[in-house]
Amino acid sequence: MSMIVAHGLTKRFGDLTAVDNLSFEIDEGEVFGLLGPNGAGKTTTIRLLACLLIPTKGEAEIAGYSIWRDQLKIREITGILTENPCLYERLTAYENMEFFAEAYNITDPREKSIRIRELLEFFGLWDRRHDKVGKFSKGMKQKLAIARALVHRPPILYLDEPTSDLDPESSKAIRDLIRKLSEREQCTILLSTHRLEDAEKLCSKVMIIKEGRRIALGSPSQLSMMVNEYNVLEIRLRHPHKKIRSILEDISGVDRVEIGETVIRIEMKKDVEEVTPIIVRHIVEAGGEVLSVTPIRPSLEDVYLKLVKGDGDKA
Amino acid sequence: MEIRLEKAFLIFRKDWKEISRNWQVILPIIAVPLVLTIVLPVIMIYLPGAVYNQGVYTGDVTEFIKNIPSEVRMQISMMDSRQAMIYIVLVYLFAPFFLIIPLMASSVIASDSFAGEKERKTIEALLATPISDDELLLGKILVSFIPSMTVTILSFTVYTIVVDLLTYDIFNGKYILPNTTWLLLIFGAAPAVAFATIGLIVGISARVKGFREAQEISGVLIIPIVMLIAGQATGAFFLGTNTLLIMVVVLVILDIMIFYIGKMLFEREKILVRLD
Ligand SMILES: Nc1ncnc2c1ncn2[C@@H]1O[C@H](COP(=O)(O)OP(=O)(O)O)[C@@H](O)[C@H]1O
Ligand SMILES: [Mg+2]
Repeated sequence: MSMIVAHGLTKRFGDLTAVDNLSFEIDEGEVFGLLGPNGAGKTTTIRLLACLLIPTKGEAEIAGYSIWRDQLKIREITGILTENPCLYERLTAYENMEFFAEAYNITDPREKSIRIRELLEFFGLWDRRHDKVGKFSKGMKQKLAIARALVHRPPILYLDEPTSDLDPESSKAIRDLIRKLSEREQCTILLSTHRLEDAEKLCSKVMIIKEGRRIALGSPSQLSMMVNEYNVLEIRLRHPHKKIRSILEDISGVDRVEIGETVIRIEMKKDVEEVTPIIVRHIVEAGGEVLSVTPIRPSLEDVYLKLVKGDGDKA
Repeated sequence: MEIRLEKAFLIFRKDWKEISRNWQVILPIIAVPLVLTIVLPVIMIYLPGAVYNQGVYTGDVTEFIKNIPSEVRMQISMMDSRQAMIYIVLVYLFAPFFLIIPLMASSVIASDSFAGEKERKTIEALLATPISDDELLLGKILVSFIPSMTVTILSFTVYTIVVDLLTYDIFNGKYILPNTTWLLLIFGAAPAVAFATIGLIVGISARVKGFREAQEISGVLIIPIVMLIAGQATGAFFLGTNTLLIMVVVLVILDIMIFYIGKMLFEREKILVRLD
């Protein structure tokens, strides 16, 4: 089921088109990555979906609610980590959480205090709950802001660069949390990031945008297929010898073979997993000693760089 | 859609917590009333020659007397010239000064609540919550209005007590405050001034960068009050009950206009658009 459906979403600021005719769907429980360089329009897209900005054109439905008509309802069922942490620095961490809990209609005092404690403990901020947020480090603020976004257990979550101010350890904790929310609680998550590592590890679908326009949409592996004509397999042998080449070139599905000092590089249009067993069998039968077999999948980074540097909608 | 009062009060409580911890806001709200309610009357009464100096001031009293409404003329007709001078200064000349309190207080609080929240970039998360614009606006108007009026009424009370105590002997055991003029001033004109200030800040909040700019712009409102003070001091007119009544009516009409325009100019999107 699609939780978020955007159709022709467009936002102009004067002459500048920040979001240009974007259409996409996000399924329930999916982690959807919004990728793009600075100024691509990621934050603006999230602001449109959170009903913080009114689109110039286009429509989006969040859980069936229209961003044109049901803004209050949409704000109720979404949690948002904004680009700036947006915390009240003169209030304590606890006071911040309390305010937002009540703003999101958690009025029962018991429920409220249990939820706040649970979140602050999870993010390691419980001991600092009575400190003014102004005294917090950037990373602590980021964590508190994520805790705030989760306070009302929203079924839909927008995270604008959630790991940008975090150290590697905290980044990993946030990634684990995102995975858990999506898998266990069926939370639908829209994640904007320019950290490809996050997108690669978390997202089932990724949309790359540039200057407001969509340049690619698909699963990370679909995207790698888009930019690479060939799949690559690297095989290390103890003693690679020249006659291996003709053996390999005869295998159906293998398109190119390169033999190096210790590594053989094989390119094929076919699926690597389909051809690998055949290749290995032929090498072993020819007396080759296989040390390792590595399918080389282009990283999302390669894909991203290639797509962002080029242009046009290939997806 | 109807306004949920508990949401407005949620905003009120949050803003009040923030504001009460901000010395930039609290300091003027404490300092200005202190000067007006205690320092000024004490100087007036005790500093030799400040008010009463036969050679210089008698002329002024008579200058005033020309413009003084008959009701006030009646009040001072039985007094000697020292009493009349003190009476005119403390009861009438000082009165418009007290409009500075609601103006100043609501201006610093509203600037912090509206423009300050935007400047500190916390408004986005607030706008993302399921609180409607009207509830948000109401909460922020209340947090600007209620403390301002509390300070104003408190100042009035302190001033009344100070003046009555200090002049008890001079007026042979008669209390000169409060009177109708002051009640009209504090409960009619002061809230109207506070509302006008808040309305103006609501209107400009989408367009200013932050606290300071909002403060500077709302500072223009001091001009009519200074004109009032100067006008009365030079004898151009006199703030009697009738003049005040007319003033209150004009202010209320002005308030309605300012709010109507202010609310039109208050667009949540504009506040966000000017964020970056
Ligand atoms: N409120 C605004 N007013 C004018 N231009 C804006 C505003 N917000 C964003 N933009 C412009 O829109 C473009 C997209 O910005 P943004 O969505 O913040 O990009 P990203 O989050 O991908 O870095 C940028 O060129 C930015 O300068
Ligand atoms: Mg951004």
